[in-house]
Amino acid sequence: MRAEDFLCAFDAGGAFPDARPGQFVHVRTPADLTLRRPFSVAAVTGRGRFELLVRKRGEGTAALLSLPEGAEVSVLGPSGNGFGLPEPGERAVLVAGGIGVAGLRHLSRTLARDGRRQVVLVGAPTATALLDGVLPGPTTDGAVRVEVATDDGSRGLRGTVCDLVGRALEETDAPARVYCCGPQAMLRSAAGIALAAGARCEALVEEVMACGIGACRGCVVRTRTGYRAACADGPVFDAAELVFDGEERA
Amino acid sequence: MLASGTVGYGGELSGLCDFSSVGAIVTKTVTEAPRDGNRPPRLAETPGGLLNAIGLENVGIERFLDEKLPAAAALGAPVVVSVAGDSPAAFARLARRVGERPETAAVEINISCPNVERARRPVWDDPDATAAVVAAARAATGKPLLVKLSPNTADALSVAEAAQRAGADALVVANTLPGMRIDIETGRPALGNATGGLSGRALMPVNLALVWRIAAGVSIPLAGSGGVATAEDALEYLMAGASAVQVGTALFLDPDAATTIAEGLRRRMAHDGVRSVAEYKGMAGRMST
Repeated sequence: MRAEDFLCAFDAGGAFPDARPGQFVHVRTPADLTLRRPFSVAAVTGRGRFELLVRKRGEGTAALLSLPEGAEVSVLGPSGNGFGLPEPGERAVLVAGGIGVAGLRHLSRTLARDGRRQVVLVGAPTATALLDGVLPGPTTDGAVRVEVATDDGSRGLRGTVCDLVGRALEETDAPARVYCCGPQAMLRSAAGIALAAGARCEALVEEVMACGIGACRGCVVRTRTGYRAACADGPVFDAAELVFDGEERA
Repeated sequence: MLASGTVGYGGELSGLCDFSSVGAIVTKTVTEAPRDGNRPPRLAETPGGLLNAIGLENVGIERFLDEKLPAAAALGAPVVVSVAGDSPAAFARLARRVGERPETAAVEINISCPNVERARRPVWDDPDATAAVVAAARAATGKPLLVKLSPNTADALSVAEAAQRAGADALVVANTLPGMRIDIETGRPALGNATGGLSGRALMPVNLALVWRIAAGVSIPLAGSGGVATAEDALEYLMAGASAVQVGTALFLDPDAATTIAEGLRRRMAHDGVRSVAEYKGMAGRMST
């Protein structure tokens, strides 16, 4: 991982509910900001214990990462709907772009725990930007297969993670369930490929959030049936329902 | 009071807020027809504040009365229903519908949302238009009528006086100020609606000055609104002449800010040997003369 990405461990006490894969927590950072910052729960590691992947990106994340070990922060959650787990017989294909690995780590660990096979596709601009260790490495029994793409070809395929999606879906006729997390352009492209291949596709969206509880209607995304709040109706959406920027409403 | 737009229809805060600390929940503004709201992005943080351009997304009066109002009333705090219409007659119809419901403690007339108004001279900037809206709502309900003013006017006092003359029982001072941010990477406005309303701490001195000015000219009570996050902020509004405060954007950091503020006020009162917050009201006016 790069020096500005940190997997941070939190202990919220035994009464804090276990997050489902794809759920998020809304964190009050020690910075003097107006809003909390939402983070996907990257893993549940015990009763009330969880991990967040924090990338130093602005004032809030910098302040959060400057806290000493053992410091207290206010965390709201776990919130949102989370991913649907694959049906028996469905292949899980996880597609992560950049920091999107954070949103898929909990799902990947859950699938591994349940003995489900998974194909993990990861993309980043360069090899050094890949967040190694956040998603599992390949296993010798083939339960976890990992493929990598980098824009500059410094590791894996030269190209984007979306180039890996079509190939992964063509391998077998088994029905696939594709889980995407990453920048909007990547979500749009990966979802388009998955849906065209007849796969079910769930996308975890990232939006600026205010209340985080469905009250303020600030974090809405466009769907074929109208605006939906990322915090309360998402952050996971059926990709077939999402209307991405530049697409006309159906 | 919990300010309109920040708490949905109240139930969203269930479990996160001690409603016994809350003087009233002011609902998301309700319109006659359901509204989808503005295209996203709808939020942009600013230094010390927040821009929003929600665009009055709401479920419409029918679903509100069927589902949302009973649920809000069950939370335990009085419910003030915020309404907005596009004419005095629409305001009157809304005020009548919500006013006749026993769950409604009061009606807040929202003439000041900066994200839907397109008129060159909006209602909030026009004493006569304000009076027409308030008079129509006044005739339609006997419930207490709060009118939420805008800071975006050169003569707020005339608008406030017009609202009082037309029968308002109290004024909420005030809504958000228009504002904008631009994403310099794309060159596009940060908000889908291009401009939005500025709330949060950055707004507080602006609306505090409005309370100060309006308190000197009207006799009905004022609720200070804009940037209240702490007991000290609430005290400033009281000392400027407000009788109550609304808390909105601060709830995004602390959904139970009402409890934090109420506890802080009690500590402050004990320290000052004051028995009622009313003793602080207008203190700044008395001290400056």
